Amino acid sequence: MGNIQLSKDPYNIIITGVGGQGNVMASRVLANMLVKKGYCVTIGESFGASQRGGSVMSHLRVSRSSIWSPQIPRGRADVVIALEPVEAIRVLKDYGNPEVKILSNTRAISPVGVIAGELDYPSMEEIKKSVKELASDVWFIDATDEGLRLGNPILGNIIMLGALSGVGVLPMDREGFKGVISRSIPEDKIDINLKAYDMGEQMVRV
Amino acid sequence: MRIFGPNELLEDVVKKDLCIGCGACIYLCPYFRSYMGKTAMLFPCTLTEGRCWAYCPKTEVDLDDLSKRFFDRPYDGDPLGFHGSVKISRAGSKFGTGSFQAGGTVSALMSFALNKGYIDAAVLTDRDGILPVPRLVTDPDDVLRCSCSKYTASPTLSALNQAIKEGYNHIGVVATPCQGLAIAKMRSNPTRIDDFTDPVGLVVGLFCTWALDFRAFDAFISERIDVDKITKVNIPPPPAEIMEIYTTDGKQEIPLDEIRKLVPDTCSYCIDMTSEFSDISVGVLEGRPDMNTIIVRTKRGQDIVDEAEKEGFLVLDDIPEENLEHLMWAANNKKKRALIKAEEDGLINTNQEDKRSYLRLNPEALKNIVA
Amino acid sequence: MSYLIDNNEGARYLLMGNESIVRGALEAGVKVAAGYPGTPSSEIIESLSKVGKEMDIYVEWSVNEKVAMEVAAAGSFAGLRSLCAMKQNGVNVASDFLLHLAGSGTRAGMVIVPCDDPGALSSVNEGESRYFARLVEIPLLEPGDFQEAKDMAKWAFELSEELRQIVMLRSVTRMSHASGNVVFGKLPVSDVHAEFKCDGFVLDPMEGIMTSAPVDYRHTQQQEKLNKAREIFEDCPFNTYDGPDSPELLIITSSACTLYSREAISILGLKDRVGLLKLGTTWPLPPKLLKKYLSMTDRIMIVEEVLPFLEENVKILAAEMAPEIGVKTFYGKNDGKIPMVGELNPDIVVNAIAQTLGIDYKAMPDEYANKAQGVAMAGTPSRELTFCPGCPHRASFWSIHNALELDGRKGFVCGDIGCYTLAILPCGFSSLKTTHSMGSGTGIASGFGKLGGFGFDQPILSVCGDSTFFHTGISALVNAVHHSSNFTMVILDNSGTAMTGFQPHPGLKVNALGDEVPSIDIEEVCRALGARVEVRDPFDLEETRKTINQLIEDKQGVNVLILRQICALSPEKKGKKKYEMTIDEEICLGENCGCNRVCTRIFRCPGLVWDKEKEVTRIDEVICTGCGVCADICPAGAIKKSSVLKEVA
Repeated sequence: MGNIQLSKDPYNIIITGVGGQGNVMASRVLANMLVKKGYCVTIGESFGASQRGGSVMSHLRVSRSSIWSPQIPRGRADVVIALEPVEAIRVLKDYGNPEVKILSNTRAISPVGVIAGELDYPSMEEIKKSVKELASDVWFIDATDEGLRLGNPILGNIIMLGALSGVGVLPMDREGFKGVISRSIPEDKIDINLKAYDMGEQMVRV
Repeated sequence: MRIFGPNELLEDVVKKDLCIGCGACIYLCPYFRSYMGKTAMLFPCTLTEGRCWAYCPKTEVDLDDLSKRFFDRPYDGDPLGFHGSVKISRAGSKFGTGSFQAGGTVSALMSFALNKGYIDAAVLTDRDGILPVPRLVTDPDDVLRCSCSKYTASPTLSALNQAIKEGYNHIGVVATPCQGLAIAKMRSNPTRIDDFTDPVGLVVGLFCTWALDFRAFDAFISERIDVDKITKVNIPPPPAEIMEIYTTDGKQEIPLDEIRKLVPDTCSYCIDMTSEFSDISVGVLEGRPDMNTIIVRTKRGQDIVDEAEKEGFLVLDDIPEENLEHLMWAANNKKKRALIKAEEDGLINTNQEDKRSYLRLNPEALKNIVA
Repeated sequence: MSYLIDNNEGARYLLMGNESIVRGALEAGVKVAAGYPGTPSSEIIESLSKVGKEMDIYVEWSVNEKVAMEVAAAGSFAGLRSLCAMKQNGVNVASDFLLHLAGSGTRAGMVIVPCDDPGALSSVNEGESRYFARLVEIPLLEPGDFQEAKDMAKWAFELSEELRQIVMLRSVTRMSHASGNVVFGKLPVSDVHAEFKCDGFVLDPMEGIMTSAPVDYRHTQQQEKLNKAREIFEDCPFNTYDGPDSPELLIITSSACTLYSREAISILGLKDRVGLLKLGTTWPLPPKLLKKYLSMTDRIMIVEEVLPFLEENVKILAAEMAPEIGVKTFYGKNDGKIPMVGELNPDIVVNAIAQTLGIDYKAMPDEYANKAQGVAMAGTPSRELTFCPGCPHRASFWSIHNALELDGRKGFVCGDIGCYTLAILPCGFSSLKTTHSMGSGTGIASGFGKLGGFGFDQPILSVCGDSTFFHTGISALVNAVHHSSNFTMVILDNSGTAMTGFQPHPGLKVNALGDEVPSIDIEEVCRALGARVEVRDPFDLEETRKTINQLIEDKQGVNVLILRQICALSPEKKGKKKYEMTIDEEICLGENCGCNRVCTRIFRCPGLVWDKEKEVTRIDEVICTGCGVCADICPAGAIKKSSVLKEVA
């Protein structure tokens, strides 16, 4: 996986989710893995008020040669990693195109309006159907549920990263992942993170 | 009759400033609460049918329906409502003496009913300073703590709702006419609750011409008297025309005309002076500050009064003719004034789809009263 | 150890814009740094605080931005390079001092870093700090990418030292909070001795007294410094041009808009037709440089955020040079090609260029756009902002709302800046009726509380966070007590500057560097000021509500209610559940009369979910933090809490 060539330059990745899901952490880890492979990476993200229940997006621009705008232009996402399923659709509306690839978690986080019974949350079947209509390749995985099984739902993000590696569009590998997390997380948590990464990789291969 | 919900309650009652703060809607749900004599709706509710609207004494009431339900006959407009005997009374020697108003009949009756197990709890009105406070009492000896009229509107029925939640099912209530009406509506199970059982064992109604708005009364009194020193408030029977305020420093008198300015407008729509939807109604007796007038309305009421007399809790006597006549005149007068006012506002027997009535009563009864 | 102090010259790192600025400051040998937290600026002081010990830097989270700038100025006066950082609002707070500092000048290099928030992504304004540079006559720099953020930060100190003047280095959210590759320079070996020399000739800039008087002399000096800056900027490597010699259109831009403009030109394939002049030194503008590029073409587009700062300044120069360079046509904010409100992005610039040059551009095929739009409209429920699960503010505002509704006299709440600003929204039961700047809720309440003589009889509450209390809330409280105003100030004490990431404040026992410091007890301070003070736990809903009702009955003086409960995201609480929450589905009343979903319809904690099929409430165990408050709002007792103290893996 580690020697894949990017199909475009810049290659545009969007990691989307909801405040508190660890979106920023996931984009950091991915970006650092790519920087280690010698790429120029630009990340655009917004935090602050959006942490409080709002949608949170990170834009990653990966290039051999230069940095790019921290905001991806409309219609130009190459791969979208959705930590929350309806966020995938929201992103496609602005950044989608017929060639985009989607990797989505299946665990819904209900907006307050849905909790309050004022809005409807679409069924997983509807979401899958919509996403398939708008993307060229689609993977849905139960990352949060598997993360919970490993002991912490936040590991769902690592499972998603592992799955992204498994999908085979980016030069990512286990060693690179390990190298990056070793600097940012306590040593006793490394094994469980590696396990989550491997699990994600396996989940998209089946 | 069609039942509506909280939005119509706001429309029919709150926005028209008709809420008297009786407490009928309090604790039924998380939305209605009482504070300083006023009922507040904390958050909006979206239901189209609700007990709040159905139990409220100020939303539409069909007097024929209710009268048939409780007295087996249509509402006829009798000044004193459906009733059996009308007498005068006071607490008997067995009840003892204490600081109660007039003859102490109400305290004696409630204490007796609790003692004999006619009721398993009593919903009464205590006070904190001059703020009336609903109280649920199960010990007969505690009844006396809640004696004496409060003259201010009280959310007493909130304690009834709590008593029901706590599982009491023969609850005795001392109620003003509006509160009595709310209890009657509640007992008729207007929202058709499947497993409904009547939780009320006895309603002792109080005569009432009006109740004061607490915040207005508090502001009025605070300017004249140190509220913390007040021990008792009393309006002696006519023709005194004063309110007596007893404090630790002695008694002060305030002309009733000044007090009447503090009566909320909603009381002028009330047609009931003698608490017609009760088992027994009790009030003052003109010219006799030591006695009460007592009206018995139901068989249960009669049984309790009879037994209380037999056991020395109550002393009864015949009512002088002129007292009865004056009572009927005054009661009819209240009805007449209120009906005329409500009719002027288009609130009687309204039949349009989008407009609810305040009162529904048969044209015959209406004619009897207004004539 | 933080990678920001890796002594690894030439190595390439992925840095957030704010971290780049920090690295630049470190490479410049910064010794004193102070600020007040505020998105998007907080990571600057935050990152410096983490390396302060190793790098021998004094770092503090000051009580407010004005004091931060004063603290940093002291460093400069004593010969130490110093930095102060703040969000755009902070410059307003500090501007009184800034005006005078610009008059007195500085000694060792001093840099102010304001981080503006175009589009107000995490602000309640999109104020411009660039105008302050022009207003107080100091040099202004704007980095256009991440490498430049580092390099320019380093250079800003040198420039400041050369001019003996404070330099403003202005960032924006998309620079501060975006990340990119940065090649590290060398970290200096520092050996400095601090001394404030003030015994020399009074007007001597290095040994005299530091003041802005005599004004005519100092102001003249100040303008000479600005002229010198203008000269230096003529040849500054941070001003670059990319494009043909005679472009059809010249774009002049700065800051993050450089990246948008460059991308727009690339998307439209206009490298041979459109020129890009990227300015790093945006005040004072270098006239010779501008003349050179303005002469290249007659059509000029200015791309910037938010207000037409560059546009105005370039137009003035162009007007002065018109006899030599001819009359130009300008595109930008004034003609509406570039919006005057909100942040920009590559698409906005693409459209502006396409429109100006008559190019047809579509970001998405129509068919795809329509389909995506249709799917999104039908299937993406919007996400309104809300308090976090377990947030004490939700509980506090529940009680505040209920107390005011019960009271029934049309009471209201004046708020200010913090997470609790969200109480404007349904998550705070729409309780806040005024929100402006830090501490202003209490100042406004102080004013309302004096209107009784005009018949004003509504109960007044103000809310203020613990950090905000020290920032400016305290002065409003002093004012209110002194003037016998009548209201209740509610201090929402969640033990930290929670919104920006738990920076310490004077109420805490630890400072930015992690040292133990004396804490200032809010309760004691309020009492000493003469207010009646009550302290409650907002998770005790009924007690809190009762207390508020009692306090607003009080017709005399200022009351303070401190609602103390640690933020749900705080390191102490995060991942630890106090209670395990469950729902008894048999008892849950759901939509029936008696409840009508008070927990999910009104309380709206994200941990509670309405199950439409079963018509009961569910607990989302991933989201629930186990605070237990919802058990107390359930009228049926269907929400159960059982004590556990569970640490998540």
